[in-house]
Amino acid sequence: MSQSLAIYRLTPEVKIRRESFGGILYKYGCADRGAMSFINSPQLIEFLLVGQQQYQGDLSAAVESRGYSVSSKEKLYRALDDLARRGYIQIGE
Amino acid sequence: MVEPVRFVRRQERLGSATVGMAGEVHPLALAAMQQTGTMVSQRTGHGSQHFLRGGLSAPITVTWEITAACNIACVHCLSSSGRRRPRELTTQQALALVDELAEMQVFQIHFGGGEPFIYPGIWQVLERCSNRGLVMCISTNGTLITQERARRLKQFEPLYFQVSLDGGTPETNDSIRGKGVFKRALRGLELLAAENHSLTVNSVLTTYSFYELDRLYEIAAGFGAKLRVTRLRPSGRGKDVWGALHPTREQYREFADWLGAHPDVLTADSFFHLNAFGNKLPGLDVCGAATATCCICPEGEVYPCAFFQALEFEAGNLHEQSFKEIWHNSATFAYYRSMGAGACSGCGQYNVCHGGCPATKWFVHQSLQIKDPECVLV
Repeated sequence: MSQSLAIYRLTPEVKIRRESFGGILYKYGCADRGAMSFINSPQLIEFLLVGQQQYQGDLSAAVESRGYSVSSKEKLYRALDDLARRGYIQIGE
Repeated sequence: MVEPVRFVRRQERLGSATVGMAGEVHPLALAAMQQTGTMVSQRTGHGSQHFLRGGLSAPITVTWEITAACNIACVHCLSSSGRRRPRELTTQQALALVDELAEMQVFQIHFGGGEPFIYPGIWQVLERCSNRGLVMCISTNGTLITQERARRLKQFEPLYFQVSLDGGTPETNDSIRGKGVFKRALRGLELLAAENHSLTVNSVLTTYSFYELDRLYEIAAGFGAKLRVTRLRPSGRGKDVWGALHPTREQYREFADWLGAHPDVLTADSFFHLNAFGNKLPGLDVCGAATATCCICPEGEVYPCAFFQALEFEAGNLHEQSFKEIWHNSATFAYYRSMGAGACSGCGQYNVCHGGCPATKWFVHQSLQIKDPECVLV
Protein backbone atom coordinates (compact mmCIF):
# COMPACT_ATOMS: atom_id res chain seq x y z
CA MET A 1 0.00 0.00 0.00
CA SER A 2 1.42 3.40 -0.97
CA GLN A 3 1.51 5.45 2.20
CA SER A 4 0.97 8.74 0.41
CA LEU A 5 -2.41 7.58 -0.84
CA ALA A 6 -3.47 5.37 2.02
CA ILE A 7 -5.46 6.49 5.01
CA TYR A 8 -4.76 4.55 8.17
CA ARG A 9 -7.64 4.45 10.58
CA LEU A 10 -7.78 2.74 13.96
CA THR A 11 -10.59 0.20 14.04
CA PRO A 12 -13.29 1.76 16.26
CA GLU A 13 -13.64 -1.17 18.63
CA VAL A 14 -9.93 -1.26 19.49
CA LYS A 15 -9.04 -0.45 23.08
CA ILE A 16 -5.54 0.62 24.09
CA ARG A 17 -3.97 0.42 27.53
CA ARG A 18 -0.51 1.46 28.69
CA GLU A 19 1.62 -1.15 30.45
CA SER A 20 5.17 -1.05 31.80
CA PHE A 21 6.51 -2.84 28.71
CA GLY A 22 4.51 -0.67 26.29
CA GLY A 23 0.87 -1.53 26.12
CA ILE A 24 -1.96 -3.79 25.04
CA LEU A 25 -4.25 -3.58 22.05
CA TYR A 26 -7.58 -5.30 22.52
CA LYS A 27 -10.30 -5.70 19.98
CA TYR A 28 -13.88 -6.51 20.77
CA GLY A 29 -14.53 -10.21 20.97
CA CYS A 30 -13.67 -13.15 23.13
CA ALA A 31 -10.52 -12.89 25.18
CA ASP A 32 -9.26 -15.33 22.66
CA ARG A 33 -6.95 -15.61 19.73
CA GLY A 34 -6.41 -12.61 17.53
CA ALA A 35 -8.29 -10.16 19.75
CA MET A 36 -5.37 -8.97 21.81
CA SER A 37 -1.73 -8.05 21.29
CA PHE A 38 1.10 -7.08 23.58
CA ILE A 39 3.04 -4.15 22.12
CA ASN A 40 6.53 -3.71 23.52
CA SER A 41 6.97 -0.17 22.23
CA PRO A 42 5.81 2.62 24.55
CA GLN A 43 6.33 5.08 21.70
CA LEU A 44 3.96 3.21 19.42
CA ILE A 45 1.36 2.96 22.18
CA GLU A 46 1.60 6.70 22.84
CA PHE A 47 1.22 7.43 19.14
CA LEU A 48 -1.86 5.20 18.89
CA LEU A 49 -3.40 6.86 21.93
CA VAL A 50 -2.82 10.29 20.42
CA GLY A 51 -4.37 9.08 17.18
CA GLN A 52 -7.36 7.68 18.98
CA GLN A 53 -7.97 10.54 21.39
CA GLN A 54 -6.96 13.61 19.40
CA TYR A 55 -7.57 12.53 15.82
CA GLN A 56 -10.62 10.31 16.24
CA GLY A 57 -8.67 7.32 15.03
CA ASP A 58 -7.26 8.97 11.88
CA LEU A 59 -3.69 7.78 12.23
CA SER A 60 -2.58 9.26 8.92
CA ALA A 61 -3.53 12.70 10.18
CA ALA A 62 -1.71 12.00 13.42
CA VAL A 63 1.44 11.02 11.51
CA GLU A 64 1.40 14.13 9.34
CA SER A 65 0.88 16.44 12.29
CA ARG A 66 3.83 15.11 14.26
CA GLY A 67 6.68 16.28 12.00
CA TYR A 68 8.43 12.93 11.83
CA SER A 69 11.56 12.49 9.72
CA VAL A 70 11.21 10.43 6.55
CA SER A 71 12.94 7.44 8.10
CA SER A 72 10.87 7.64 11.29
CA LYS A 73 7.73 7.87 9.23
CA GLU A 74 8.67 4.80 7.20
CA LYS A 75 9.38 2.85 10.37
CA LEU A 76 6.07 3.92 11.87
CA TYR A 77 4.12 2.95 8.77
CA ARG A 78 5.74 -0.48 8.80
CA ALA A 79 4.47 -0.93 12.36
CA LEU A 80 1.02 0.29 11.33
CA ASP A 81 0.96 -2.13 8.39
CA ASP A 82 1.68 -4.94 10.83
CA LEU A 83 -1.18 -3.83 13.07
CA ALA A 84 -3.43 -3.64 10.02
CA ARG A 85 -2.63 -7.27 9.22
CA ARG A 86 -3.75 -8.15 12.75
CA GLY A 87 -7.02 -6.30 12.31
CA TYR A 88 -6.47 -3.31 14.56
CA ILE A 89 -6.19 -0.78 11.72
CA GLN A 90 -8.14 -0.32 8.53
CA ILE A 91 -6.34 1.00 5.48
CA GLY A 92 -8.34 2.89 2.89
CA GLU A 93 -7.79 5.48 0.21
CA MET B 1 -14.20 8.66 39.67
CA VAL B 2 -15.12 5.56 41.59
CA GLU B 3 -17.76 6.18 44.19
CA PRO B 4 -16.94 4.67 47.57
CA VAL B 5 -19.33 1.95 48.61
CA ARG B 6 -19.58 0.51 52.09
CA PHE B 7 -19.14 -3.22 52.12
CA VAL B 8 -19.90 -5.42 55.07
CA ARG B 9 -16.72 -6.50 56.78
CA ARG B 10 -16.18 -10.21 56.63
CA GLN B 11 -15.20 -12.05 59.76
CA GLU B 12 -14.66 -15.47 58.32
CA ARG B 13 -11.27 -16.93 58.88
CA LEU B 14 -9.66 -19.98 57.45
CA GLY B 15 -7.97 -21.89 60.22
CA SER B 16 -5.59 -19.60 62.06
CA ALA B 17 -4.78 -17.50 59.03
CA THR B 18 -6.71 -14.49 57.87
CA VAL B 19 -7.12 -14.97 54.17
CA GLY B 20 -6.79 -12.41 51.51
CA MET B 21 -5.42 -9.50 53.50
CA ALA B 22 -2.47 -7.73 51.94
CA GLY B 23 0.76 -9.14 53.32
CA GLU B 24 -0.76 -12.39 54.49
CA VAL B 25 -0.85 -15.65 52.63
CA HIS B 26 -2.39 -18.89 53.73
CA PRO B 27 0.45 -21.15 54.90
CA LEU B 28 -0.52 -24.03 52.60
CA ALA B 29 -0.63 -21.72 49.60
CA LEU B 30 2.63 -20.08 50.57
CA ALA B 31 4.40 -23.41 50.93
CA ALA B 32 3.02 -24.67 47.62
CA MET B 33 4.06 -21.55 45.74
CA GLN B 34 7.52 -21.46 47.31
CA GLN B 35 8.09 -25.09 46.38
CA THR B 36 7.94 -24.14 42.71
CA GLY B 37 11.31 -22.43 43.07
CA THR B 38 12.62 -19.23 41.60
CA MET B 39 10.64 -17.45 38.95
CA VAL B 40 11.92 -17.10 35.43
CA SER B 41 12.97 -13.47 35.25
CA GLN B 42 10.86 -11.09 33.24
CA ARG B 43 13.79 -10.45 30.94
CA THR B 44 14.20 -14.08 30.00
CA GLY B 45 10.58 -15.29 30.03
CA HIS B 46 9.39 -16.74 26.74
CA GLY B 47 6.31 -15.98 24.66
CA SER B 48 3.36 -14.48 26.52
CA GLN B 49 5.17 -15.08 29.81
CA HIS B 50 7.57 -12.26 28.98
CA PHE B 51 4.71 -9.76 29.20
CA LEU B 52 2.64 -11.31 31.96
CA ARG B 53 5.29 -11.92 34.59
CA GLY B 54 4.61 -9.65 37.52
CA GLY B 55 1.04 -9.00 36.43
CA LEU B 56 -0.49 -6.33 34.24
CA SER B 57 -1.70 -2.95 35.50
CA ALA B 58 -5.21 -4.41 35.47
CA PRO B 59 -6.78 -7.65 34.26
CA ILE B 60 -7.59 -7.96 30.57
CA THR B 61 -10.66 -9.98 31.44
CA VAL B 62 -12.37 -10.46 34.78
CA THR B 63 -14.52 -13.52 35.26
CA TRP B 64 -17.32 -12.46 37.55
CA GLU B 65 -19.44 -15.22 39.01
CA ILE B 66 -22.19 -12.85 39.95
CA THR B 67 -24.40 -15.38 41.72
CA ALA B 68 -24.10 -18.97 42.84
CA ALA B 69 -27.78 -19.53 42.18
CA CYS B 70 -28.46 -21.87 39.30
CA ASN B 71 -31.52 -23.62 37.96
CA ILE B 72 -29.53 -26.65 36.82
CA ALA B 73 -26.80 -28.67 38.53
CA CYS B 74 -23.98 -29.71 36.21
CA VAL B 75 -21.91 -32.55 37.57
CA HIS B 76 -18.66 -30.75 36.71
CA CYS B 77 -19.64 -27.23 37.87
CA LEU B 78 -16.37 -25.48 38.69
CA SER B 79 -17.98 -23.35 41.36
CA SER B 80 -20.34 -25.95 42.83
CA SER B 81 -23.27 -23.67 42.06
CA GLY B 82 -26.84 -24.28 43.09
CA ARG B 83 -28.24 -21.99 45.77
CA ARG B 84 -27.76 -18.28 46.18
CA ARG B 85 -25.16 -17.54 48.86
CA PRO B 86 -25.94 -15.30 51.82
CA ARG B 87 -23.32 -12.61 51.30
CA GLU B 88 -23.61 -12.15 47.56
CA LEU B 89 -22.86 -8.60 46.42
CA THR B 90 -25.87 -6.32 46.33
CA THR B 91 -26.77 -4.56 43.12
CA GLN B 92 -25.36 -1.32 44.54
CA GLN B 93 -22.07 -3.01 45.33
CA ALA B 94 -22.02 -4.64 41.92
CA LEU B 95 -22.54 -1.29 40.19
CA ALA B 96 -19.69 0.24 42.18
CA LEU B 97 -17.51 -2.67 41.16
CA VAL B 98 -18.31 -2.09 37.49
CA ASP B 99 -17.23 1.53 37.91
CA GLU B 100 -14.00 0.47 39.54
CA LEU B 101 -13.19 -2.06 36.82
CA ALA B 102 -13.89 0.59 34.18
CA GLU B 103 -11.60 3.06 35.96
CA MET B 104 -8.84 0.43 35.93
CA GLN B 105 -9.35 0.00 32.18
CA VAL B 106 -10.31 -3.66 32.41
CA PHE B 107 -11.33 -4.55 28.88
CA GLN B 108 -13.92 -7.24 29.41
CA ILE B 109 -16.15 -8.75 32.04
CA HIS B 110 -17.14 -12.34 31.64
CA PHE B 111 -20.30 -12.95 33.64
CA GLY B 112 -20.83 -16.45 34.92
CA GLY B 113 -22.15 -18.13 37.98
CA GLY B 114 -24.38 -19.82 38.74
CA GLU B 115 -26.74 -18.62 36.08
CA PRO B 116 -26.26 -14.86 35.62
CA PHE B 117 -29.89 -14.29 34.67
CA ILE B 118 -30.95 -15.32 38.17
CA TYR B 119 -29.00 -12.42 39.72
CA PRO B 120 -31.63 -9.78 40.64
CA GLY B 121 -29.58 -6.80 39.48
CA ILE B 122 -28.26 -8.27 36.23
CA TRP B 123 -30.04 -5.76 34.00
CA GLN B 124 -28.70 -2.78 35.92
CA VAL B 125 -25.21 -4.24 35.93
CA LEU B 126 -25.28 -4.84 32.17
CA GLU B 127 -26.56 -1.33 31.59
CA ARG B 128 -23.74 0.12 33.69
CA CYS B 129 -21.15 -1.97 31.82
CA SER B 130 -22.57 -0.79 28.54
CA ASN B 131 -22.46 2.84 29.65
CA ARG B 132 -18.87 2.44 30.80
CA GLY B 133 -17.74 0.81 27.55
CA LEU B 134 -16.87 -2.54 29.07
CA VAL B 135 -17.13 -5.53 26.77
CA MET B 136 -19.58 -8.02 28.23
CA CYS B 137 -19.71 -11.74 27.81
CA ILE B 138 -22.46 -13.74 29.45
CA SER B 139 -21.89 -17.40 30.05
CA THR B 140 -25.35 -18.90 30.34
CA ASN B 141 -26.98 -22.29 30.31
CA GLY B 142 -29.50 -20.76 27.90
CA THR B 143 -32.54 -22.18 29.62
CA LEU B 144 -33.83 -18.86 30.96
CA ILE B 145 -33.65 -17.00 27.67
CA THR B 146 -37.05 -15.87 26.49
CA GLN B 147 -38.00 -13.93 23.40
CA GLU B 148 -38.61 -10.86 25.52
CA ARG B 149 -35.20 -11.14 27.20
CA ALA B 150 -33.40 -11.80 23.93
CA ARG B 151 -34.91 -8.61 22.52
CA ARG B 152 -34.26 -6.56 25.63
CA LEU B 153 -30.60 -7.62 25.62
CA LYS B 154 -30.13 -5.98 22.22
CA GLN B 155 -29.85 -2.58 23.91
CA PHE B 156 -26.50 -3.52 25.44
CA GLU B 157 -23.32 -3.23 23.44
CA PRO B 158 -20.81 -4.73 23.15
CA LEU B 159 -22.26 -7.97 24.41
CA TYR B 160 -21.87 -11.57 23.41
CA PHE B 161 -23.04 -14.90 24.77
CA GLN B 162 -21.58 -18.24 25.54
CA VAL B 163 -24.28 -20.88 25.71
CA SER B 164 -23.10 -24.14 27.22
CA LEU B 165 -23.50 -27.52 25.56
CA ASP B 166 -21.31 -30.32 26.85
CA GLY B 167 -22.19 -32.75 24.15
CA GLY B 168 -23.54 -32.82 20.64
CA THR B 169 -26.38 -35.13 21.62
CA PRO B 170 -28.99 -35.01 24.39
CA GLU B 171 -27.54 -38.19 25.87
CA THR B 172 -24.04 -36.85 26.33
CA ASN B 173 -25.01 -33.31 27.25
CA ASP B 174 -27.79 -34.21 29.66
CA SER B 175 -25.68 -36.78 31.49
CA ILE B 176 -23.57 -33.83 32.58
CA ARG B 177 -25.94 -30.86 32.60
CA GLY B 178 -29.25 -32.49 33.54
CA LYS B 179 -32.27 -34.07 31.94
CA GLY B 180 -33.87 -31.99 29.20
CA VAL B 181 -31.21 -29.29 29.28
CA PHE B 182 -29.94 -30.01 25.75
CA LYS B 183 -33.30 -29.19 24.24
CA ARG B 184 -33.79 -26.10 26.40
CA ALA B 185 -30.29 -24.79 25.62
CA LEU B 186 -30.95 -25.16 21.89
CA ARG B 187 -34.13 -23.14 22.35
CA GLY B 188 -32.11 -20.43 24.10
CA LEU B 189 -29.62 -20.41 21.24
CA GLU B 190 -32.47 -20.17 18.78
CA LEU B 191 -33.97 -17.15 20.55
CA LEU B 192 -30.62 -15.36 20.83
CA ALA B 193 -29.76 -16.11 17.20
CA ALA B 194 -33.14 -14.78 16.10
CA GLU B 195 -32.15 -11.40 17.56
CA ASN B 196 -28.74 -11.55 15.87
CA HIS B 197 -26.78 -11.68 19.09
CA SER B 198 -23.11 -12.52 18.91
CA LEU B 199 -22.92 -16.15 20.03
CA THR B 200 -20.56 -18.94 20.88
CA VAL B 201 -21.47 -22.46 21.85
CA ASN B 202 -19.25 -23.29 24.81
CA SER B 203 -18.35 -26.90 25.35
CA VAL B 204 -16.14 -28.48 27.99
CA LEU B 205 -14.07 -31.22 26.41
CA THR B 206 -14.62 -34.59 28.06
CA THR B 207 -13.75 -38.11 27.11
CA TYR B 208 -17.35 -38.43 25.88
CA SER B 209 -17.89 -35.11 24.12
CA PHE B 210 -14.61 -35.68 22.28
CA TYR B 211 -16.48 -38.00 19.91
CA GLU B 212 -19.09 -35.32 19.23
CA LEU B 213 -16.85 -32.39 18.33
CA ASP B 214 -17.93 -32.41 14.69
CA ARG B 215 -21.58 -32.46 15.74
CA LEU B 216 -21.02 -29.57 18.17
CA TYR B 217 -19.32 -27.65 15.39
CA GLU B 218 -22.35 -28.20 13.16
CA ILE B 219 -24.77 -27.16 15.90
CA ALA B 220 -22.87 -23.93 16.49
CA ALA B 221 -22.69 -23.18 12.79
CA GLY B 222 -26.43 -23.76 12.54
CA PHE B 223 -26.99 -20.80 14.85
CA GLY B 224 -24.36 -18.64 13.17
CA ALA B 225 -22.21 -19.16 16.25
CA LYS B 226 -18.63 -20.13 16.80
CA LEU B 227 -17.74 -23.21 18.78
CA ARG B 228 -15.63 -22.59 21.88
CA VAL B 229 -14.09 -25.66 23.46
CA THR B 230 -12.56 -25.44 26.91
CA ARG B 231 -10.58 -27.71 29.17
CA LEU B 232 -12.21 -29.70 31.97
CA ARG B 233 -10.71 -28.74 35.34
CA PRO B 234 -11.04 -30.65 38.62
CA SER B 235 -12.50 -27.57 40.32
CA GLY B 236 -15.69 -27.46 42.39
CA ARG B 237 -17.85 -30.50 41.61
CA GLY B 238 -15.48 -31.13 38.73
CA LYS B 239 -13.12 -32.72 41.23
CA ASP B 240 -15.58 -35.55 41.81
CA VAL B 241 -15.92 -36.43 38.13
CA TRP B 242 -12.56 -35.39 36.73
CA GLY B 243 -11.13 -38.90 36.78
CA ALA B 244 -14.09 -40.27 34.87
CA LEU B 245 -14.52 -37.40 32.40
CA HIS B 246 -11.15 -35.97 31.51
CA PRO B 247 -9.90 -36.88 28.04
CA THR B 248 -7.15 -39.40 27.47
CA ARG B 249 -3.73 -38.44 26.17
CA GLU B 250 -4.56 -39.95 22.78
CA GLN B 251 -7.80 -38.01 22.65
CA TYR B 252 -5.86 -34.85 23.39
CA ARG B 253 -3.45 -35.62 20.57
CA GLU B 254 -6.34 -36.09 18.13
CA PHE B 255 -8.03 -33.00 19.51
CA ALA B 256 -4.92 -30.91 18.86
CA ASP B 257 -5.01 -32.10 15.24
CA TRP B 258 -8.74 -31.38 15.06
CA LEU B 259 -8.14 -27.83 16.27
CA GLY B 260 -5.53 -27.44 13.56
CA ALA B 261 -8.15 -28.41 10.99
CA HIS B 262 -10.73 -26.05 12.53
CA PRO B 263 -8.93 -22.73 13.02
CA ASP B 264 -12.19 -20.89 13.65
CA VAL B 265 -12.85 -22.87 16.84
CA LEU B 266 -12.11 -20.84 19.97
CA THR B 267 -10.42 -22.32 23.00
CA ALA B 268 -10.21 -19.55 25.61
CA ASP B 269 -6.48 -20.27 25.50
CA SER B 270 -7.15 -23.18 27.83
CA PHE B 271 -5.26 -25.91 25.99
CA PHE B 272 -1.76 -24.44 25.93
CA HIS B 273 -0.51 -27.57 27.71
CA LEU B 274 -1.06 -29.32 24.35
CA ASN B 275 1.67 -27.15 22.83
CA ALA B 276 4.07 -29.77 24.15
CA PHE B 277 2.89 -32.10 21.37
CA GLY B 278 5.00 -29.90 19.14
CA ASN B 279 2.55 -27.61 17.36
CA LYS B 280 1.87 -24.37 19.17
CA LEU B 281 -1.81 -23.46 19.36
CA PRO B 282 -2.81 -19.84 18.70
CA GLY B 283 -3.21 -17.57 21.70
CA LEU B 284 -1.55 -17.37 25.09
CA ASP B 285 1.00 -20.06 25.85
CA VAL B 286 0.97 -19.52 29.58
CA CYS B 287 -1.56 -19.42 32.39
CA GLY B 288 -2.97 -15.90 32.73
CA ALA B 289 -4.30 -16.37 36.26
CA ALA B 290 -3.61 -13.39 38.53
CA THR B 291 -1.68 -11.68 35.74
CA ALA B 292 -4.08 -11.17 32.83
CA THR B 293 -7.26 -12.36 34.47
CA CYS B 294 -8.80 -13.24 37.80
CA CYS B 295 -12.13 -14.34 39.20
CA ILE B 296 -14.59 -12.49 41.40
CA CYS B 297 -16.95 -14.86 43.19
CA PRO B 298 -20.51 -14.19 44.34
CA GLU B 299 -19.62 -13.23 47.90
CA GLY B 300 -16.81 -10.93 46.83
CA GLU B 301 -13.97 -13.40 47.00
CA VAL B 302 -11.18 -12.77 44.50
CA TYR B 303 -9.24 -15.76 43.17
CA PRO B 304 -6.45 -16.16 40.59
CA CYS B 305 -8.91 -17.56 38.05
CA ALA B 306 -12.34 -19.14 37.78
CA PHE B 307 -10.81 -22.60 37.97
CA PHE B 308 -8.75 -21.84 41.06
CA GLN B 309 -11.45 -21.20 43.64
CA ALA B 310 -9.46 -22.70 46.49
CA LEU B 311 -9.86 -21.00 49.86
CA GLU B 312 -6.12 -21.12 50.41
CA PHE B 313 -5.62 -18.97 47.31
CA GLU B 314 -8.21 -16.31 48.03
CA ALA B 315 -6.43 -13.05 47.31
CA GLY B 316 -8.92 -10.83 49.08
CA ASN B 317 -12.58 -10.04 49.50
CA LEU B 318 -14.52 -7.10 48.15
CA HIS B 319 -16.41 -6.77 51.41
CA GLU B 320 -13.08 -5.71 52.93
CA GLN B 321 -10.97 -4.17 50.19
CA SER B 322 -11.39 -2.56 46.81
CA PHE B 323 -10.66 -4.64 43.76
CA LYS B 324 -7.79 -2.34 42.88
CA GLU B 325 -6.20 -2.87 46.28
CA ILE B 326 -6.48 -6.62 45.92
CA TRP B 327 -5.10 -6.66 42.37
CA HIS B 328 -2.10 -4.51 43.26
CA ASN B 329 -1.40 -5.39 46.89
CA SER B 330 -2.50 -8.98 47.54
CA ALA B 331 0.44 -10.96 48.84
CA THR B 332 -1.16 -14.13 47.48
CA PHE B 333 -1.19 -12.66 43.99
CA ALA B 334 2.36 -11.38 44.42
CA TYR B 335 3.62 -14.86 45.27
CA TYR B 336 1.48 -16.42 42.58
CA ARG B 337 2.98 -14.13 39.95
CA SER B 338 6.50 -15.07 40.89
CA MET B 339 6.16 -18.86 40.88
CA GLY B 340 8.91 -20.92 39.29
CA ALA B 341 8.78 -23.89 36.97
CA GLY B 342 8.78 -26.54 39.71
CA ALA B 343 9.15 -30.06 38.37
CA CYS B 344 9.03 -28.69 34.83
CA SER B 345 12.33 -26.92 35.30
CA GLY B 346 14.71 -28.19 32.66
CA CYS B 347 11.97 -29.65 30.46
CA GLY B 348 12.63 -28.95 26.81
CA GLN B 349 9.00 -28.02 26.22
CA TYR B 350 8.62 -25.62 29.14
CA ASN B 351 8.92 -22.59 26.89
CA VAL B 352 5.79 -23.58 24.96
CA CYS B 353 3.49 -24.75 27.78
CA HIS B 354 4.99 -23.11 30.89
CA GLY B 355 3.98 -26.01 33.08
CA GLY B 356 0.28 -26.09 32.27
CA CYS B 357 -2.58 -25.34 34.64
CA PRO B 358 -1.78 -24.61 38.33
CA ALA B 359 -5.42 -25.14 39.35
CA THR B 360 -5.40 -28.66 37.92
CA LYS B 361 -2.18 -29.43 39.80
CA TRP B 362 -3.61 -28.12 43.05
CA PHE B 363 -6.97 -29.82 42.92
CA VAL B 364 -5.52 -33.18 41.88
CA HIS B 365 -2.40 -33.31 44.04
CA GLN B 366 -2.51 -30.30 46.42
CA SER B 367 0.78 -29.19 44.94
CA LEU B 368 1.96 -26.59 42.46
CA GLN B 369 5.49 -27.83 41.89
CA ILE B 370 4.45 -31.03 40.10
CA LYS B 371 3.87 -31.43 36.38
CA ASP B 372 0.38 -30.80 35.05
CA PRO B 373 -1.55 -34.06 35.66
CA GLU B 374 -2.48 -33.93 31.97
CA CYS B 375 1.05 -33.18 30.76
CA VAL B 376 1.22 -34.79 27.36
CA LEU B 377 4.86 -35.75 27.83
CA VAL B 378 4.24 -37.90 30.88
